[in-house]
Amino acid sequence: MMNGNEAVARGAFEAGVKVAAGFPGTPSTEVMDYTHQRYPDIYCEWSTNEKVAVEVAIGASFAGYRSLALMKTVGLHVAADALGGAAGSQINGGLVLVVSDDVGRLAGDDYNDCRHYGNMFGLPMLEPGDSQEAKDFMVKAFEISEEYSTPVILKLTSVTCKTNSRVVIDEDCTYEAKCREKYPISFSKVIMTTIMMKAKGSEHPKLTKCFNDFPAHYKRLTNNCNDYDINQLELNGKKIGIITAGTPYYYAKEVLPEASFLKLGLIMPLPEKKIRELAEHVEELYVIEDGHDILEKNIKDLGISVIGKELWPKFPEMTRFTPDIIEEKLVPGAPKRTPIKDVPFRLPVSCAGCSHLFIAQILRKNKIRAAADVTCGLIGCFPHMEAYDLQKCMGSSIALAHGYNVAKDNKENFVAMIGDGGFWATGLAGLTNLIFNNSQSTVIVVDNSCLAMTGGQNVASSEFGFNYKPENKLDIAKVCEAIGVKDIVTVDAYEYDNLEKSILNAVNAKTNSVVIVKKPCVTKFKLPKNTPSYIDQDLCVKCGKCIKVGCLAIESKKAQDGSVDIVINQDICTGCGLCSTVCHKEAIKQ
Amino acid sequence: MQDTGKNIIIAGVGGQGILLFSNLLSKFYLKLGYELKISDVIGLGQRGGGVESHFRYSDKPILSPFIKAGDVDYVISFEQTETLRYLHCLKDDGIVLSSTYELTSTSVNTGLQKAMPESKTEIIKRAENKKFIIDPEDHKSPDFNISKMMNVVMLGFYAELRGYSHDDMIQIVRESVPEKFVEGNIMAYQKGTEIAKAEIAAD
Repeated sequence: MMNGNEAVARGAFEAGVKVAAGFPGTPSTEVMDYTHQRYPDIYCEWSTNEKVAVEVAIGASFAGYRSLALMKTVGLHVAADALGGAAGSQINGGLVLVVSDDVGRLAGDDYNDCRHYGNMFGLPMLEPGDSQEAKDFMVKAFEISEEYSTPVILKLTSVTCKTNSRVVIDEDCTYEAKCREKYPISFSKVIMTTIMMKAKGSEHPKLTKCFNDFPAHYKRLTNNCNDYDINQLELNGKKIGIITAGTPYYYAKEVLPEASFLKLGLIMPLPEKKIRELAEHVEELYVIEDGHDILEKNIKDLGISVIGKELWPKFPEMTRFTPDIIEEKLVPGAPKRTPIKDVPFRLPVSCAGCSHLFIAQILRKNKIRAAADVTCGLIGCFPHMEAYDLQKCMGSSIALAHGYNVAKDNKENFVAMIGDGGFWATGLAGLTNLIFNNSQSTVIVVDNSCLAMTGGQNVASSEFGFNYKPENKLDIAKVCEAIGVKDIVTVDAYEYDNLEKSILNAVNAKTNSVVIVKKPCVTKFKLPKNTPSYIDQDLCVKCGKCIKVGCLAIESKKAQDGSVDIVINQDICTGCGLCSTVCHKEAIKQ
Repeated sequence: MQDTGKNIIIAGVGGQGILLFSNLLSKFYLKLGYELKISDVIGLGQRGGGVESHFRYSDKPILSPFIKAGDVDYVISFEQTETLRYLHCLKDDGIVLSSTYELTSTSVNTGLQKAMPESKTEIIKRAENKKFIIDPEDHKSPDFNISKMMNVVMLGFYAELRGYSHDDMIQIVRESVPEKFVEGNIMAYQKGTEIAKAEIAAD
């Protein structure tokens, strides 16, 4: 039994990958963790960000070795420039990007779809539907990359990553990282397109030796993929035909066992002959795909009509396919089940004892407006906490605050809060920018010694990691100092008064400043717990201030007589004492 | 009659050990030679969120990783708000195993949403399906913290209900949990079987 992430790691091993570089992102973070744990022959690294990871993989590929870059789709946005540089260029060692879409927004991302990059850059893409395919397609992706001289994207989803199923593996498979030095040079497409466009002097051998006829490679693959057995054509009933890929194939197959199917393993380019064969076989042709309507558009571009989003409108009507959704539209008279109404939903909450709660509390209490980053601290943006006013992408908060402050002529100090993960990923560029453009912003760096939200991977300032050496650990304060930050202070998150004073001083100083708030992630590092707090119900006036702190341990509970008490869950509370600072009745005791 | 397979939804909130529960159960069914598909999709990225695992075993290859509403044989839930989310998915003869433990939703804590007016336990009791409701408060033990080990208690309950070999199941627990936790886990498991015996007898 393996989940998709384990299977991809196994595939990397079987393919003889030499270098794996990535950036953590739910749901595919574990691909790297498993690769590192189980296959020590493969060099693994968590790179600074996704763009760096792709560049590392490109360099390793040019050196002749199979390499992979791992990220989620929002990370591919960051890395798109690097991928665009590799697309269409000469490939030595196979270059595969493992990219996970958060279909159904199950991990909480927006509704992104990495297949747009396949269309934009003309890249082959593969999509497995279960763990066996995740392993097998990984190997296939490297073969395609080398045979057709192109980077390849292996598209995972939250469902394939987190579904366990049986995988048959060759126990005798031994690891071998072969060196393939086919091309002595490899440049981005600009030079090759110069030749294609027949610019003046483009016949010169110095230019023509750089030439890589990538459109011809893609065309060759477009023809050959009609014979790929991973593009599986099942001609059954003549009424309904379904073109699909990934897990939606299994949903549809279960609901419509009699239908005819084309299950695409290679989702780009499309096997036109097989699609036409299916279209001619059936009366009604549907496309069932999670995410955006990419297969549907690409099929329609071939001049073949299919039914897709007109039957199943996409976001916001629907975020992902389920067997139920397919049955509802294609199986007449299927019974419909209705969920119980008004079952309360759950918003994400910070762990009890998290340093982010302290910062959110101080900002809210002192009415300091601030931007949050992509960090566990972004939970402070949700309506149950209301600690932040602005939040966008990973590493953005420093530049967001700077932009706000210059627009307001530096009359307000709109603060930036950023985690250590966001700081190193791209926040550092924002900080550099802030300094040399004379900003007066305040930056709060929450240093919890890891990338906490994805489960605690190492960053540049962590004291652990795949390639950790104490002498190479970076120090956030020293880096800030070197960049030229005027006012730097480091405080312990649990020293509440000191933390509040430090933040207020920084905000009120008319200069740029960084407050580094240190406290290791309570969950990752399993910090020792204090005696849990409790609420003295005789003193509690149920004002709800402590609930606003946003701690997972503080709940409202219905008592036997129907009244509502506010209580602290003793199993969850870490005894950090933050909630007692907000209680004006001193009802919270330890 | 030969068991050809079942569809199970395992539900709860983060930190209740749902992954361990499904992991132990999967080892048991693998030993019996079944095909399995287990999807731990919901709740993968958020603290304080609901966790939902779709667990399918069958003597034939399994297609969909998600179970269609109406195809569920067992809902095994560690938190009763989460139980309510899946009751409608049960087959007519499906069975629900639910803890009365409740972690109030953030939306209710902060007044974004009203609490359900009726007791959740009462709503579950009213379901037309066969149900077993376990109140951890009634089964506290000095030997282990039941609120933290409800997963293994529930495993014992489920195994008893299904008439499985406790020796086999305990062996799997023994092989799967760290040495120092083995004893506590086995006591929790046995507690689960005892509760089940009493409940089944009363049924």
